[in-house]
Amino acid sequence: MTRRTFDPIELELLWRRLISLVDEAAAALVRTSFSTLVRESYDFSCIVTDATGQSLVQATESIPSFIGTLPATVKHFLRFFPPETLEPGDVLITNDLWLGTGHLPDITVAKPIFRGGRLVAFSASTAHAPDIGGKIRSPEPREVFEEGLQIPPLKLMRRSVADETLVAMIRQNVRTPEQTLGDLWAQVVALDLMEDRLLGLMAGHDLPDLVDLAAEIQGRCESAMRAAIAALPDGTYRSELQTDGLLDTPITIRMALTVKGDSIEVDYTGTDPQVDRAINCALCYTYAMTMYGVKVCTSPALPNNEGAWRPISIVAPPGCIVNPQFPASGGSRMLIGHYLPMLVFGCLGQVVPERVMAACGSPMWGMNQSGVRANGKPYANMFFYNGGMGANARGDGVTCLSWPSNVSSTSIELSEHIAPLRFHHKRLRPDSGGPGKHRGGLGQEILIESRSETPIAVSFLAERTIIPAFGIEGGKPGATGALRINGEAVDPKRQYVLRYGDTVSLATPGGGGHGDPRERDPAALAADLEAGYVTSDAAYR
Amino acid sequence: MAAHLSLGIDIGGTFTDLVLLDPRDGRAVLWKESTTPDDPARGALEGTRRVLERAGARAGDVARVVHATTLFTNALIERKGARTGLLTTAGFRDVLEIGRERKYELYDLFITMPKPLVPRPWRREARERLAPDGSVEVPLDLDGALREVEALVAQGVESLAIVFLHAYANPVHERQAAEAIARRFPDLSLSLSSEIAPEIREYPRASTTVANAYVRPLAERYLDRLEAALRAEGIMGGLFLMLSNGGLTHVAEAKRAPVQLLESGPAAGALAGAFFGRAAGLDRVLAFDMGGTTAKLALVDGGEPLVAYGFEAAREKRFLRGSGLPIQIATVELIEIGAGGGSIARRGELGTLQVGPESAGAQPGPACYGRGGTQPTVTDADLALGYLDAGFFLGGAMRIDRAAAERALGGLAGELGVDATRAAVGVHDVVDENMAGAARVAIAERGRVPREYALLATGGAGPVHAWHVARKLGVRRVVCPPGAGVGSTFGMLMAPARVDRVASFNAPLAEADFAVAETLFARLEEEARRVLAETGADLDRARPRRLADMRYIGQGSEITVAMPERLAEAPVREAFETEYRGLFARTPPGAAIQFVALRLSLSAPMPGAEARLRLAHPPGGQALKGKRPVFFPDTRGEIVTPVYDRYALPPGMAIDGPAVFEEDESTFVIGPGARARVLPDGTILAEMPDDA
Repeated sequence: MTRRTFDPIELELLWRRLISLVDEAAAALVRTSFSTLVRESYDFSCIVTDATGQSLVQATESIPSFIGTLPATVKHFLRFFPPETLEPGDVLITNDLWLGTGHLPDITVAKPIFRGGRLVAFSASTAHAPDIGGKIRSPEPREVFEEGLQIPPLKLMRRSVADETLVAMIRQNVRTPEQTLGDLWAQVVALDLMEDRLLGLMAGHDLPDLVDLAAEIQGRCESAMRAAIAALPDGTYRSELQTDGLLDTPITIRMALTVKGDSIEVDYTGTDPQVDRAINCALCYTYAMTMYGVKVCTSPALPNNEGAWRPISIVAPPGCIVNPQFPASGGSRMLIGHYLPMLVFGCLGQVVPERVMAACGSPMWGMNQSGVRANGKPYANMFFYNGGMGANARGDGVTCLSWPSNVSSTSIELSEHIAPLRFHHKRLRPDSGGPGKHRGGLGQEILIESRSETPIAVSFLAERTIIPAFGIEGGKPGATGALRINGEAVDPKRQYVLRYGDTVSLATPGGGGHGDPRERDPAALAADLEAGYVTSDAAYR
Repeated sequence: MAAHLSLGIDIGGTFTDLVLLDPRDGRAVLWKESTTPDDPARGALEGTRRVLERAGARAGDVARVVHATTLFTNALIERKGARTGLLTTAGFRDVLEIGRERKYELYDLFITMPKPLVPRPWRREARERLAPDGSVEVPLDLDGALREVEALVAQGVESLAIVFLHAYANPVHERQAAEAIARRFPDLSLSLSSEIAPEIREYPRASTTVANAYVRPLAERYLDRLEAALRAEGIMGGLFLMLSNGGLTHVAEAKRAPVQLLESGPAAGALAGAFFGRAAGLDRVLAFDMGGTTAKLALVDGGEPLVAYGFEAAREKRFLRGSGLPIQIATVELIEIGAGGGSIARRGELGTLQVGPESAGAQPGPACYGRGGTQPTVTDADLALGYLDAGFFLGGAMRIDRAAAERALGGLAGELGVDATRAAVGVHDVVDENMAGAARVAIAERGRVPREYALLATGGAGPVHAWHVARKLGVRRVVCPPGAGVGSTFGMLMAPARVDRVASFNAPLAEADFAVAETLFARLEEEARRVLAETGADLDRARPRRLADMRYIGQGSEITVAMPERLAEAPVREAFETEYRGLFARTPPGAAIQFVALRLSLSAPMPGAEARLRLAHPPGGQALKGKRPVFFPDTRGEIVTPVYDRYALPPGMAIDGPAVFEEDESTFVIGPGARARVLPDGTILAEMPDDA
C-alpha cells in the first residue's frame, strides 16, 4: 500500500479535528460525572491513540500526571488483550497501581475502535473515582491490599454488554457506589463519543487507518522535541533533594539527567528504597512527572502526544521509591511524585536557569475525612489546599497555586455544607514566601474545627513540614508547612480521630525565592510590607 | 406627532453603533460614530444627532433609548474603577486573593493570575459568623466593623463590598453592617453579596460583589451624565440599559447593580440572532457573529439565547478559561474564539498552517487594505478566493488590493510548500475548522447536537464563512439577516425588559418544604415585578419563569431546571430527571436529589419592541449584478458564480447555490447545491443539499 501523505493544511485540519473530538469527550465527561474531583478539579483525561497504543491527541484540560500515564496504560491493555482478542463494543478497565497511575482511585478505561473490521485506534480515559474502598486515602497503608479494590486489566464490557459480575464487585467494595459507578459510566460515554467522532472523521477524509496520520503527527512533535533538546549543551547534570519522608527519616531522591545530542536520559540511581507507607511513587507516575518537568522547560507549547516523549528515557532501579515493587502501597504517591519536576529543574537549571523556577510549596496538601453520619450512612470527603509557587527569573512566585498538579481547593461554604466542620480562617501566611530578588509565592493557613457528635477519621497530605522549598540563584527557601491538631504539631503521615471541638490547623508551605534578596526592587518590597505579605525587611538587608 | 421612535446606542471600543427604528413600519436607519473614550457620552450624543438628521427625525420623536456599553468591562480590564474596599467575616479577607488555586495554563511556569480588585490593605474583617443554614453563631460586632470602615474611608476608599460567609442563606449581618455604615458614611457606595450574588461559594460571590463595587461609582456618574445629556438634547423618552442576561432594565437598577451590565454588548448580538431566528421561524439557532478579531457563538433555544449563571471578566489570557475574575450573574452564554477577518495565517512551529488568534486588527489590517500589513489574513484569503469583491468592499466605500492579498498568500504558500490557491483555501478552511471545533465542544457541553440547529450569520465576516462552518458542523440550514454586518444593535431594540433573581434554597428534594419554596418564589417575583414596573414594560404579558439549581447529592455542580406548575416532590423529580437526561443521556440509579437555589426570571415585552424590520430597499433594482469566479472547497475548484445585490432581492425569490449576495457591510456566500429563498423581511434562508 502506498503511504498517505498530508500537506500542511490537511494535517492541521485533521489534527484540529482530533483535538476537538477529545475536548468534546472531555466536556461530556465533566458534565456527566458525579465527583467534584472530575467536575471541579478536572482530575481526569481523555485521549485517542493509534492501534498500537501510541497517543495522538489528549484533551486540553487533562492534568499533567494522566498525560504521561494514560498512553502507557493503553499499551499495557494490549499486552493483556492482544488485538485478536478484542471486538467492537469491548471496554477494558483497570486501576492497577503499576499499569495505571500509581494509585487505586484512578480508574482507566479504553475502547478498541474498528474500521472495516480492523483495529485502528483506542479511545481511553482516566478519572479519579470519589472512592475505591480500603483504608481512607492516607500515607498509612503498608501494602496495596489496604488501599482498596484492585481491578486488574479486565473487560468491563464485551460487545457493548457490561460484565455484571465485575460491576457488582465494584459496587460492593466502595463507599460511594452511585458516584463511583456513575463516574465510570460517564467515562464510557466519553469513549463512545470519541469512537463515533473518530470514525466520522476517518470516513470523511477517506482514511482506512491512522498509521500514516499518527506517523506524521507524532513525527513532527518528536522532531520539535529533539530540536529543543539539541539546543541544550550535552552533559550529565545532577541534582538531589530530600523530602520530609517519614518522621525522623528523610527520603533522598537523586537524579542524573544526561543530555546527549537530541535525547535525554533521566537516571534515578541512588534514590532511597521503597518504604512501607503509601508514599511510594510507581514508575508510571515517576515517568509522567519527570516528563512534565522536562516539557515545561524545553518546549512548553508542544502538543501532547507520543512523539514528544520518545526522545526522553527514564531509568529507575527496581525497589527504589520512584520504582517500587509489588505489593508496595502508593495512595499518596504525589508526596514523592510532585518533587520530581523540581529535580529536573535542579539539573536543567544549570544550563538554562532562565527557564526554571525555585521550588514550590508542593506536593499538594489535603485533608481526608470519613465517618458515619447520624443517619448511619458512611461518608468520605477530600479537601485540597495548596502552597506558594517558586519565584522565577521574570517575577515573584504565585501565591497558593496547585503545581505540578492542577487541583482547585474546595469552597469553605460548600465544605461546611457537606461536612460537620467549622472553618475559623483561611488566610495568607505572611513571610512564608522565600525572600529573593523575586519573592516566592505565599502559603496559606486554614483552621478547621469538628462539629461532629460522631468521631471523624482524618488523614492528610502534608509535606515540607521539615524541609522547605529551596530558593535558587541566591534566593532563600520558603517557610515550611505545619500541621497541628489542637495546637500540637503532629506526624502528618498518620491517621487521627477528631471529636467535637477538636481543631486542625493546616499551614501550607511557601515557594522558594529567586535571586539575592538584597537586589529586590525597593518599591516591590515596600508594597509587600504594606500588604503584609512580608512583615519585616530583615531578610532583604 | 407623539414620540414614537426607538433609538439604540451600542458603545464599543472603536465604534458607537446607532439604530433609529420606527416600530410602526419597521424602517430603520443605521449610523456608525467613532467612540470617544475620554467621555463616551459625547460620541453617543454626536451619533444621536447624526442618525436623527439622517432619518429626518427630531429629538422629540424618540420615545425610548436603549443602551449597551463596554465601558464597565473596560474599567475592569484596565483597572480604572473606584478605590474599592472589602469587609469580610473575620479570618477570610484573603479568600479574594487565594481564589480557586488552579492554573489556567498547565505548562507555563511564568503564569500570572489576575490581581484582586481590592488590594490587601483595603480588605478588612468584622467579627461575626453564620452557620451554613444561616443561623447566627457569632453576633456581628458593629463597633469593630465601623472602626475598620472608618480606616478605609480615611484612606480614600469610595466604594465598599460587604461579603460575609453564608450570607446567601441569611443577609442579616450584611444588612446590619450596611445600615450602620450608611448612616455613618453616607457618601460611601455599598455593595452587599446577599443582594448582588446570593449564591453559595464564597470566592465567586466575593469576586462578583467586589466587581460591582468597583464599577458602581463610575456607573452612577456615567448614567447620570448620559441621562441628563439626552434630556438636554430634547429626548424625553426613557433610557433603558441592556443587561448581560439579554433583557433591559431602567437606570436606577443599573446603578444599583452595574455588574449586570458587563456583557451588555455581546448579549445584544446574541439577541439579534434570536430575533432574526424567530422572524425566520427557527426554534434552535446557533448565532454566529464573526468580526475583525473574534468570532462569537451563542446557542438560541426556543427563540431565546441560552443564559448561563456565571462568566469570567477581564481575563489575563483572553481565550483561556479560568484566567479571569468569576462573575456570578445571569449572562447570555457566549463562546469567544480568536478568529476574525484580521486573523493572521502563518506556518506554525510544527510546520502546519495556523490561523489566529493573533489579529492584524484594523491597523495595519489585512495585506489587501494596503495600510502596511504584509502578513496574510483571513480577509486576504476571502478576497483571493473570490468571496469578496475588491471593488465592492464596504459597499465600495473602501478600496482593497487583490494583488497585495495574493502576494501575502504567495509568501505563505512558499513557506508551506503548496501553491497559492491551496494556501488561500487552507486559510479559509483552517479558520472555519477553529470555529467549528469550538462550536462542537460548546454544544457538547450543553448536551445538544449540532444538526438540531440552524446557523445564523452576522458580523462583517460571519456571512462569508457561515456556509462552510455549517457544512463542517453538519448543520442543515444557514440564515443571513439583512444588515447582518451591524445586526447586534437591532437586538437591543427588540429586547424585552427582564429581571433575574436568585435565592438560596438548600434542601434535599425528599425533605423539601414546598411551602417555603412557594414563599421564596413569590418574594422573588414581587421584587422582580417592582423593578419591571418601572421600565414601562407590558406587565400584563410578563412571563415569570421559575427555575431551580439542583443536583444529585454529592455532585459538585448544579443544573438549572424549569419548575413544574405544581411544586411537589414527584413533578419536581420528573422535571429534574428530564433535564438531566437531556444533558447527560442517562440518570444514575438510586441517587438522591437536592435543591441548591431558586431562580426567578421575569420578562415582559417593551412597547415598540415587536416590530418587524424592513431594511430591504424598494424593489425594482437589478438583482443580478454579474458573475465572478469563486472557489468552493467542496468542489475543489472555481465556479463562475452569480453575484446578487442583496438590497434588490424581492421577498419570496428562490435562488440555487452557488451564489454570492452583496450588501454594504457584508457578503453572504452559499455553496453549490444550496437552495435559498428570500424571506419577507429580507433574510436569506439557505438549505444544504441532501448529500451534505
